[in-house]
Amino acid sequence: MSTLIIIDSAPYGDWSGREGLDMAFSLAAFDQSVTLLFIGAGVNWLRKGQSPEGISQKSVEKNLSAAPIFGVEALLADGRDCQTYGLTEDELIASVSQVELGPELLNQYKHTVFAG
Amino acid sequence: MTDQTLPERNNEGFLEDAHTWTPDIAIVIAAEDNLDLSERHWEIIEFLRDFYNKHEVSPPSNRLFVKAVRESMGEEKGNSIYLMQLFPGTPAKTACRIAGLPRPTNCL
Amino acid sequence: MASIRTLHILNKTPDHPRFNRCLASLGSEDALLLTEDGVLAAASDRFTGFAGPVYALRADLEARAVEVAGGTLSPVDFEGMVKLTTEAEQIISW
Repeated sequence: MSTLIIIDSAPYGDWSGREGLDMAFSLAAFDQSVTLLFIGAGVNWLRKGQSPEGISQKSVEKNLSAAPIFGVEALLADGRDCQTYGLTEDELIASVSQVELGPELLNQYKHTVFAG
Repeated sequence: MTDQTLPERNNEGFLEDAHTWTPDIAIVIAAEDNLDLSERHWEIIEFLRDFYNKHEVSPPSNRLFVKAVRESMGEEKGNSIYLMQLFPGTPAKTACRIAGLPRPTNCL
Repeated sequence: MASIRTLHILNKTPDHPRFNRCLASLGSEDALLLTEDGVLAAASDRFTGFAGPVYALRADLEARAVEVAGGTLSPVDFEGMVKLTTEAEQIISW
């Protein structure tokens, strides 16, 4: 049974995306197949070079780099939303695949859950 | 080092700021759990320090702690019996407390 | 057994961006279940474009004193909600 967790809110502004990340890690802990998809303002999670020390928060970029270690299967981003936020391939953290959010993608997952 | 001179900790004995950690602090915190740190303990402690520097998160649960150790060091050390023997109780909590990492979020 | 292709569980108010995104992705064999803030859509006619079955969690309707206009929407209890989730091949929680 596979689960897709969608994060559509920007990082650092609120906690809803982090809840999605916790959910993904918890599923991975029990060896459940789980993939993270970033859409809308959520694609800003994937920008390289974040340094949130000045706002006293942990780097979601560094947090995300633990995802493959914990067993999260893939990090996906909506390509069009990346464009909207000026994110080129070079500016995205490695290991992210750009996809198109649509029925073809969603049909691959038994459960799709939005974070927050 | 006495308890008086330890950096600020929360009510479960975790350091408030992971950056205040030193190996001497690990020895004092381990002693509270009646643990005498061996080379095998230090290897895991160093792994956790490195993990936290890279990912800014503690392994959230025992299962993910074991998984992360296995990814890095293989089956021989990345298994729950080995880690439970080194860090009794809830291994992720005990090990993170000694290594100066924040409390694992999903460890009850 | 699975008589619903995708069950869409929607807990957002009609002015939340995900509300319209959800409506736009409803397929002809799908069903829509309104829960929490989502039941406020039952107070207006915000999902009339969809011909498939629309359900709303009764406890959430009653909590908010939302009256259901006859015919368009079926209130379900928690048991009914669980039944819907078992009848669906796939679930999207918006």
